[in-house]
Amino acid sequence: MRNVLTGFLIYGLPIPLLLYSLTVGPSQGLVFADYWDWGRAALHGDIHESSTKVYMLNNIIGNVRLPRVLLTFIIGAGLASSGGALQGIFRNPLVDPYVLGISSGSAFGAALAIAFPLLHINVMAFVLGVASVVMTYSFAFSNNKSSIVAVILSGMIVSGIFTASLTVVQYISDPYKLQAIVQWTMGNLHHASWDKLNTAALPVGIGIVGMYLMRWRLNLLALGEEEAKAVGVNPTADKATLVALATLTTSTSVAAAGVISMYGLFIPHLTRMMVGPDNRKAMPANILFGGSFLVIIDNFSRSLMDFEIPIGIFTMLLGAPFFLFLMKKNKINWV
Amino acid sequence: MTEAAIEVENLSFGYGKTPILEQVQVAFPSNRFSVLLGRNGSGKSTLFNIMAGLQKYRHGSVKLMGKERSNMSFSDCARVLGFLPQFHKSVFPFQVKDVVLTGRAAFSAFSPRRSDMEKVGQALEELGISHLAERPYTELSGGEQQLVMIARVLVQNPRIILLDEPTNHLDIYYQTYVLEKLKKLTENNLTVIAIMHDPNMAFLYADHCYFMKDRTVLTPGDTFDYQNGAFLEHVYDVRFTTVQVNDKMVVVPGR
Repeated sequence: MRNVLTGFLIYGLPIPLLLYSLTVGPSQGLVFADYWDWGRAALHGDIHESSTKVYMLNNIIGNVRLPRVLLTFIIGAGLASSGGALQGIFRNPLVDPYVLGISSGSAFGAALAIAFPLLHINVMAFVLGVASVVMTYSFAFSNNKSSIVAVILSGMIVSGIFTASLTVVQYISDPYKLQAIVQWTMGNLHHASWDKLNTAALPVGIGIVGMYLMRWRLNLLALGEEEAKAVGVNPTADKATLVALATLTTSTSVAAAGVISMYGLFIPHLTRMMVGPDNRKAMPANILFGGSFLVIIDNFSRSLMDFEIPIGIFTMLLGAPFFLFLMKKNKINWV
Repeated sequence: MTEAAIEVENLSFGYGKTPILEQVQVAFPSNRFSVLLGRNGSGKSTLFNIMAGLQKYRHGSVKLMGKERSNMSFSDCARVLGFLPQFHKSVFPFQVKDVVLTGRAAFSAFSPRRSDMEKVGQALEELGISHLAERPYTELSGGEQQLVMIARVLVQNPRIILLDEPTNHLDIYYQTYVLEKLKKLTENNLTVIAIMHDPNMAFLYADHCYFMKDRTVLTPGDTFDYQNGAFLEHVYDVRFTTVQVNDKMVVVPGR
């Protein structure tokens, strides 16, 4: 019974959920019959001869909701699989792109690109994302050894440095750009468009496929560096590849939708509860369930209130208590 | 005399200006259970790390089955040699069979083959721990975890396995269990070399014992010479009394 349920949550949920999500939104006066009409018209390909209502609905669904739902799904999938990969590489159940400072680094990079059109926003986000993970790693590790707490503290410091730098960018930006930057740092999907989806899809896709292919190698890395060398594998190349893939995925998501905090932390824990710690099963679960769950959260964020609640705030409110719970459960030793 | 599985000649090594190994000269015979003993800091672990390829060396030579270690790639080396490091703890509660399966990682790049799974089953069987296959590794006792890690090295199909203190932290039951299994492995064309601390356990199970003192491996006169008190006193800086129990010699430390 439990297997059937987890199987449905992971593999059965995405498609119906994506279809349902197309009907969620603030547009008023639309009833089920309208969607029915639209669906029939869309199937027969005669949208242009249909009523204005169907034509309008086609526009809402095709140009507003569909790109948004798809973008949300790939970002959720990307952040969750990055989180799972990073937890394995760092052998630390309390890390994710946000905790390691990658999100803040990418956010600073992207903000720079918004305020001063230097380079492409994705490139800036990636470069600063790599810089931040390298910083966190080198602060936390000495002689290839590190503790769970040291990694979190270093991540916090790196995150702080980049958040401060981001504030400086905000301070010197003109009001119009400032508004854009602020909205976007809170994690915002309502600017989703086919354009954004097109820029994000390829890098996130490469990241997800790469991490998926390396899911078994991740088991080996999660056992530790010495243990990998003991059976004849040099873990450095595998680690670097996976960190690069996770950073590529995260920085692209941040460039497209801002900082969605803590999301990569708790999804891998939920999927581990569902399918166990073996990454051969957990990685596909992270991708699919990670995508679905962010779509669910986003559905709430755009339907709970008259206005949209930025999704980054939602995930932080969900993630923070989860982080505290994990801290207790792992009996983190502060001394 | 059988041919040497590992032959170390004139090996010197140090961190910066601190010498750790000086002119080490030793040959471990193949298909035998050899044990390396010595005081803490005498260089045992460093010698092991160099033989296993975790540490690079510049002075001297280390040959695995006749081939120079420094000329072998990681995966070449993995076909010949498996290494069990001293400390291992897993953060994630992987199932035992998944932990053992990672021992095949040098041969199957992205996903394990069916034959890899079979090797896991065989290794667990060989060590008598098939019943643990589905259990989370993190919930096992120290002795069980040690056996799992040995199985993980075995699935590599190496010719030589090196074990850094395999009986450390184990109770007497598991110490004898592990040592009996290790000795048994040498019957199937496998060379086993282990670091140990208890000379009596080593004398009971090992085919050959080697002692390290002052950054080099000592060579006792003939095979049984090392069981005399004077030699052990020189190695450990502790006085020993030799006792005959039935047909076995036991050494008892005491000032």
